[in-house]
Amino acid sequence: MEVKQFFGGIHVPHYKSFTEHKAIKEASLPGEIVIPLLQHTGAPNEPLVKVGDKVKAGQKIGSTDKFVSAPVHASLSGTVTAIEPRPFVTGQMIESIVIAVDKNQDALELANNNLEKVSKEDIVNAVKEAGIVGMGGAAFPTAVKLSPPPDKKVDALIINGCECEPYLTCDHRLMLEKPTELLQGIKLLMKMLSVDQAFLCIEDNKDDAIEAVRQQNDDPNIVLLRMPTKYPQGSEKHLVKAALDREIPSGGLPFDIGALIQNVGTCVAIYEAVKFGKPLIERVVAVTGQNIQEPQNLMVKIGTPLAHLIEECGGIVSEPAKVVVGGPMTGKAQDTLDVPVVKGTTGVVVLPPDMALEDMDYSDCVRCCKCVEHCPMLLYPNQISIYCEAGMIREAADWNTMDCIECGICAYVCPSKRPITQLVQRTKPLIRELLSK
Amino acid sequence: MSDAQKFVVTPSPHIKSLDTVSNAMRDVFIALMPVTLVSIYFFRYYAALTIAVCLVTAVLTELLFKKLMNKKPALHDWSALLTGLFVALLFQATTPWYKAALATFIAVGIAKELAGGLGWNRFNPALFGRVALIFLAPLYAYVNQWFHPLAIHLGPLDTITQATPLALMRAGLEMPPVSQLFFAFPAGALSEVSPFALLIGAAYLFYKKHIGWRIPVSILATMIVLTVITGQNPVLHLVTGGIMIGAFFMATDWVTSPMTDKGKIIYGIAIGALIVLFRVGFMITEGVAYSILIMNAFVPLIEKATSRPQFGNIKAVAVPMAEQK
Repeated sequence: MEVKQFFGGIHVPHYKSFTEHKAIKEASLPGEIVIPLLQHTGAPNEPLVKVGDKVKAGQKIGSTDKFVSAPVHASLSGTVTAIEPRPFVTGQMIESIVIAVDKNQDALELANNNLEKVSKEDIVNAVKEAGIVGMGGAAFPTAVKLSPPPDKKVDALIINGCECEPYLTCDHRLMLEKPTELLQGIKLLMKMLSVDQAFLCIEDNKDDAIEAVRQQNDDPNIVLLRMPTKYPQGSEKHLVKAALDREIPSGGLPFDIGALIQNVGTCVAIYEAVKFGKPLIERVVAVTGQNIQEPQNLMVKIGTPLAHLIEECGGIVSEPAKVVVGGPMTGKAQDTLDVPVVKGTTGVVVLPPDMALEDMDYSDCVRCCKCVEHCPMLLYPNQISIYCEAGMIREAADWNTMDCIECGICAYVCPSKRPITQLVQRTKPLIRELLSK
Repeated sequence: MSDAQKFVVTPSPHIKSLDTVSNAMRDVFIALMPVTLVSIYFFRYYAALTIAVCLVTAVLTELLFKKLMNKKPALHDWSALLTGLFVALLFQATTPWYKAALATFIAVGIAKELAGGLGWNRFNPALFGRVALIFLAPLYAYVNQWFHPLAIHLGPLDTITQATPLALMRAGLEMPPVSQLFFAFPAGALSEVSPFALLIGAAYLFYKKHIGWRIPVSILATMIVLTVITGQNPVLHLVTGGIMIGAFFMATDWVTSPMTDKGKIIYGIAIGALIVLFRVGFMITEGVAYSILIMNAFVPLIEKATSRPQFGNIKAVAVPMAEQK
């Protein structure tokens, strides 16, 4: 099917060859897991266990009665050794449950529900209980997303298999290796939302995944869209624009235009939650980059420290290294490997010394307009960067800084090497403050 | 993993393109080489001296002003050298070296550094320096005699005695054939000797994606239309004077041209119209330089009038419910 192109965007080098042809491998048992009580967008969980308690794999160990939240589960059996703030992906310290992992792990107790018989309520409850959040990186609680306000009618379901960030291959491998589970998950979502059609969007640099899904697809209402490879194709706004030619209004959400978007990893997790009652305790993580001995796609238990994954992949080749959680365009560089894998961790990218320069030297904007040419939000990042740098908050707001999706393209193309994305991130809270006055 | 292990932490994005300002400026420098070589071929030591004086003055001026303004020297960005070369190319080979040096000083020191440095200048520095010298002309009527002993004489060159094609055109005299004017004709400023050589450089800049089609095409198209309307020979106009260096190198300057797509076209059309006005209406030379400088001043206004709405800036949200069936 023909898809529309969105304006702007850029072809970034893929760097996907490190792991794109490597099958997902089960990671070995870590000695300790760290489960942050807040690993999603929303309210933090309260611990349900105390230090010294024995926990079983799949046991719920943190929850809250707030609506916008998702419970957390022990991903392995063991003993709670501490409940304390631990380093988190964002660089903050987050209250976490630390579990010393048992050497012998029992198999997870799974149900086997009949998917024909499940009701809409069953699906939402299963998703909520399993603690599923958006697994593309945003980590928004899925049960909340599946309950749009009553006045918003969702008529189009979009499944995001674009994986437009360089290096990352977890969604790619998942589509290739679990197409049936993915399609079952999509069918559950269609049933849940009462939509007739779902669009599965995959970039054309993953033709093997498209083929794998096509072979298993017996439902003509699940439409496969082969998207042009272009960053940020996987951004919600741009995916809806390309797939349906609908534009999410400034400041709006996808359901404002009747669309709902789910990541492929989330779909598989939904299937497993509904079918087997399996909570979200593991996910695929691409451990990759030029600076890791053996790049791999690993099935990792939530809470596994990065140090364990890097050891599992043979360690870092040369220092200084930069360890990025997420893709290189939007991911966060880490200062410690104690940080655990959480539900939204798509990959761990280890960059070599020549790409890990701390060189922050940048110069004034020369108005080359390369950022203007590529900005997918049609902003003027050059002007925005000047106002943000000068602390001219009102002007920054007037140039629509709040519409920025922080995709990083402007900072990527800038010949003056201006940290435009960072300047915007720093200014957004100030604009919010100014506008709320 | 030892606890002492240090990791590099920087904000995203963690990959960067290889484009740098210095590479781009160096590419423009390279793009000017064909015309520079042709001018040196025609004017020998005269051209070489003018170019050398301007390059050296540009570097010294940049160093001086950076020092005075307590900024880090930025010679590595090539912008000072490039401005120096541009200024040299805007002069005739026989121009006294101290005039070229003064123009370069004004271009790099005042038009660029005092305006805030590369990126902040409102006016094209090289054109500003060149035009400043025209306005200072009455002044040297008095001071010329002081400087006269400083002039360097390199011996006679036949080609230098030629009148410029624009002057011929103005005087209504017979012009050399268009093909000669296009490929190489030794008269006028250094950059006017070969529109062909400039086009080779412009093609290189297009290939490197440093310049777009909007500004040069709208300038040239406007000129063709207006010269035809006013009964002039459009081809003759395009190959004479500073049209080529103006349209492809000066008007496309990143810093001083509009950043909006529509704005670029409006800017180009206005420059083209002004050039024809100066040439045909006022019958003066240096029309290209004036036109571009005048339009430089209007860039903020043009940008304001032509800025694009951002993604999602839509009035009504229409949800076509039945569309996908």
